[in-house]
Amino acid sequence: MNGGVDRRLPARLATIGGTTTLMVVAIMVLAPSAPPGGDRAGAELERAVVPAASPILAEAEVFRTLPDQLGVDPAARPRLEAHPRSMAIYRRLRAYPGAPPRIPHSLTREEAMGGHCNSCHERGGFVERFAAYAPITPHPERSHCLQCHVADDRLLGLPYPDGGPDAVCAQCHVMEASPPELVALDWPEPRWPATGQVALPGAPPAIPHDFHHRGNCLACHGGPSAVAEIRTSHPERANCRQCHLPAGDQADAYTRPGPGGSP
Amino acid sequence: MSVADRREFMKQAAAGAAAAAAAALTPGVAFGQDLTRLIGGLGLEWKKTPCRFCGVGCGLLVGLEGGRAVAVRGDPASPVSRGLACVKGYHSVQALYGRDRLTRALVRQGDRLVQVPMERALDLVARTLRETVEAHGKDSVAMYGSGQWTIPAGYVATKLFKGALGTNNIDASARLYTASAMTGAISSFGLDQPMGCYEDLDHADVFVLWGANMAETYPVLFSRMLERRQRSPSVRIVDLATRSTRTSYASDRALLFAPQSDLAVANAICHEIVARGRVNRSFVDRHVAFRRGSTGIGYGLRDDALVSEDEAEASFDDYVRFLADYSPERVERLSGVQAADIRWLASLYADPSLRVVSLWSTGINQHTRGSWANNLIYNIHLLTGKIASPGNGPLSLTDQPSACGAVREVGALAHALPRGTVADPEDREFAAGIWGVPSSRIDSRPGHHALSMFRALERGDIRFLWVQATNPMVTLPDLSRYRAAARKEGRFLVVSDVYPTPTTEVADVVLPSALWIEEEGLFGNGERRTQHFQQMVDAPGEAMGDTWQMIEVARRLGHQELFPWPRESHVADIWAEYTRFHDGPSHRMALLSELESRPGVMWPYVDGRETRWRYNTAHDPAADAGRGDFHFYGNPDGRARIWLRPFEPAPEVPDTEFPFWLETGRVLEHWSSGVLTRRIPTLHRAMPGAYVEINDHDARELGVQDGDRVRLVSRRGSIQITARLDHRGQPPRGHLFVPFFDESLLINELTSDAHCPVSGQPDYKKCAVRVERVARMTGT
Repeated sequence: MNGGVDRRLPARLATIGGTTTLMVVAIMVLAPSAPPGGDRAGAELERAVVPAASPILAEAEVFRTLPDQLGVDPAARPRLEAHPRSMAIYRRLRAYPGAPPRIPHSLTREEAMGGHCNSCHERGGFVERFAAYAPITPHPERSHCLQCHVADDRLLGLPYPDGGPDAVCAQCHVMEASPPELVALDWPEPRWPATGQVALPGAPPAIPHDFHHRGNCLACHGGPSAVAEIRTSHPERANCRQCHLPAGDQADAYTRPGPGGSP
Repeated sequence: MSVADRREFMKQAAAGAAAAAAAALTPGVAFGQDLTRLIGGLGLEWKKTPCRFCGVGCGLLVGLEGGRAVAVRGDPASPVSRGLACVKGYHSVQALYGRDRLTRALVRQGDRLVQVPMERALDLVARTLRETVEAHGKDSVAMYGSGQWTIPAGYVATKLFKGALGTNNIDASARLYTASAMTGAISSFGLDQPMGCYEDLDHADVFVLWGANMAETYPVLFSRMLERRQRSPSVRIVDLATRSTRTSYASDRALLFAPQSDLAVANAICHEIVARGRVNRSFVDRHVAFRRGSTGIGYGLRDDALVSEDEAEASFDDYVRFLADYSPERVERLSGVQAADIRWLASLYADPSLRVVSLWSTGINQHTRGSWANNLIYNIHLLTGKIASPGNGPLSLTDQPSACGAVREVGALAHALPRGTVADPEDREFAAGIWGVPSSRIDSRPGHHALSMFRALERGDIRFLWVQATNPMVTLPDLSRYRAAARKEGRFLVVSDVYPTPTTEVADVVLPSALWIEEEGLFGNGERRTQHFQQMVDAPGEAMGDTWQMIEVARRLGHQELFPWPRESHVADIWAEYTRFHDGPSHRMALLSELESRPGVMWPYVDGRETRWRYNTAHDPAADAGRGDFHFYGNPDGRARIWLRPFEPAPEVPDTEFPFWLETGRVLEHWSSGVLTRRIPTLHRAMPGAYVEINDHDARELGVQDGDRVRLVSRRGSIQITARLDHRGQPPRGHLFVPFFDESLLINELTSDAHCPVSGQPDYKKCAVRVERVARMTGT
């Protein structure tokens, strides 16, 4: 298959060294399809193309250094360094908080007919075709992706980028250029949820969104494809809601039932 | 990668995805049931509504803040959509806020439409209506409504025209999208509306899609089918279609048939079932009667009146003799579907261990033999007894959000009443009793159906036409003819809509309407489910709900006593009156208080129980258990009909002058004529304009490349349009597809107004055109 996720990636990763053992453990914790039992762990490692599923790597500048180590064309590096996946990009692709994001890249004919999205977006990983890490879908159980996620029509006519910097740049910049609307829409900038809401200084921040189709915290908050501003520093904790509660849950003060309490 | 490899790959991907159910990943994360509580904490207020677009009726939660709708979630409590929506639904609330919303009434002065206060516009509408009736008689006025109406709007329109004005000249654009489903159900079962429901999709082993590109046009139900296949990999989806689409790619088997040959394919499946001795004899003996009908019934090109078909009794042996013309080999030559594939389809339908659901929409219904095509699909399910039980049954899908609720159930159609037909004296008596009018007020002659109505406007038999919630100057076939009719001198056209459209451009009065959640309302979806929504936001300017516009005009005409309801409670009051029409075990509907609190209720709703499978005596309170497992009580003998419906050719087929079939339809991003969806940026950017899909080989022969402009010419009109190869769908050779959403590329200038003479539904899927190259601009 051309242009998909680099399947050599995990094999190379496996040689990176002292962190390998930790990674296997991490992938077994994180990768949903990894069954318990050692004999399939190697196979799962082959399939798990999330290089920074290891939290250690994620926080060790792996985002910058991995493409070189992996033999990715250095020409792609300026793009990665100039445009880490940011909150601004994240928002630009959504009509409102919680809206399904638009697809920001060109599609092959087969992809436009509805296939293959999850070959990159189920487990993420570095995609040479776009010189970027594929964001992981938090709802891989939904397979009819294009019913909610649509691509800008102007992306369809673009040549499929091969990793060359110009073609890769055009992926996003074609969408920047004067989006033609039929008529203007009265749709003010949405009120994006505030990050870092804490009850006490240093307390774990609250979750400022619902979990509908977004129940897998690490899909969006872990690994190199995560938006930089909301990437967790401790994905190995895994049980996120042990510490992070939905923001809305703190709305009402506790009232003791019984005669002494007020309704 | 070959198609087979790709299918295998996708299956593996799907299986992997299913294993990765998100809930298993992150302990402590809660799903579904506490969503409402969780999103309630986001500073928004959330209210439920059915989606405004197609007839699936997905449940949405709309997030409200500062008097505006700002967000959408799929409602996890909705039994229809279970928390999912499609890209249209997720962005639907943006359609409220286009800057060109109609907020003031407009009245024509010469070439211009000028703003006037709403009260004055309503005065003018009422005065002109009265003067037209006085000058030209009660049948010189007409209402053309829509399956986008709410149920109260459809009901008030019916009562106003049939009960107050005494004319049956009321019809709806649902005629264009779903009428054949209605007449097909009535001729087979004696009653309209499906016997099954969407839950069938969770139980079926085989899905046969008859010309329905569900991946684009019914995405949420399509996903439900895919989920069923993920859980049970032996489940098979068969796409029977006239071109390859996203649906074909996701299906297990895609079979192409020649346009119109679906009639023959359905009969060939039955031929094979009979020939192999796989008829479910005990079911057929107890529950089926055979009927032969009129043939050679024309295409409605000259005649306005619909055909009321003869019904002659026939025997099983007659049926077997009739089927002799439809051997798989013979039908292969006509349809292009290989005999082996027809036999395979028949084996799926006949296998007693497999549950089979057939699905269809406008591919079958927009058909010059649409009513017959519905009968023929029912025939297969009746012959095998696979009907009206979990996972077994024919299920017609509907294009408009309330085509079933506001039009088919309400009877907002030329021949109908909220219960029964105008031709039936008892039905007239019953309606007159509820309305408090003399039964002589209700005319026994059917009025003009949609196309006939515009022909009457052309002739001058209709002089006053009120159009609500629909855009006929984009959606009517043979459009230039009917546009000219609407522009004729001495015609008065009132258009109620939310945005300027090609229809408001030819109006004499434009009334600004409230849109969707700007008023309280009820929709009825394609599985007999009624859904209520509150008013959530204010309508802009002087915009007013369609229902209340009609009540205002009715009062100006002196019909205060028939429309006495206060504005604050009129929806509840109308619901209470309307549901008296259906107060029996076969159609009882839920109280408004229940509809307010629940994500929809299916009728018949009796003793607190919804009916998921009508005619099934274990489920349907109206079915007589003494009849065995099933009781098709819509027909006097309690039996469903297998009809001997022959293949008859399309009225216009490709020839040397016009060598291509032209098919029109919808795409994922846009709904109907695009008035709402084209104002939504995400949808417009993804699908900014119409195009023509051409087969690769045909394009090469024509010297046409992807992106070239071509001219399409039919006997009725021509347009210049961009050719797209390798796009959404791939038509076979000699076949073109153009979506109809684009008001600047009016493909209906080319389509024919040939229609099913039983249902009145036009065939937008088949006419003959030629393709001409247009010189390339760039000289490349």
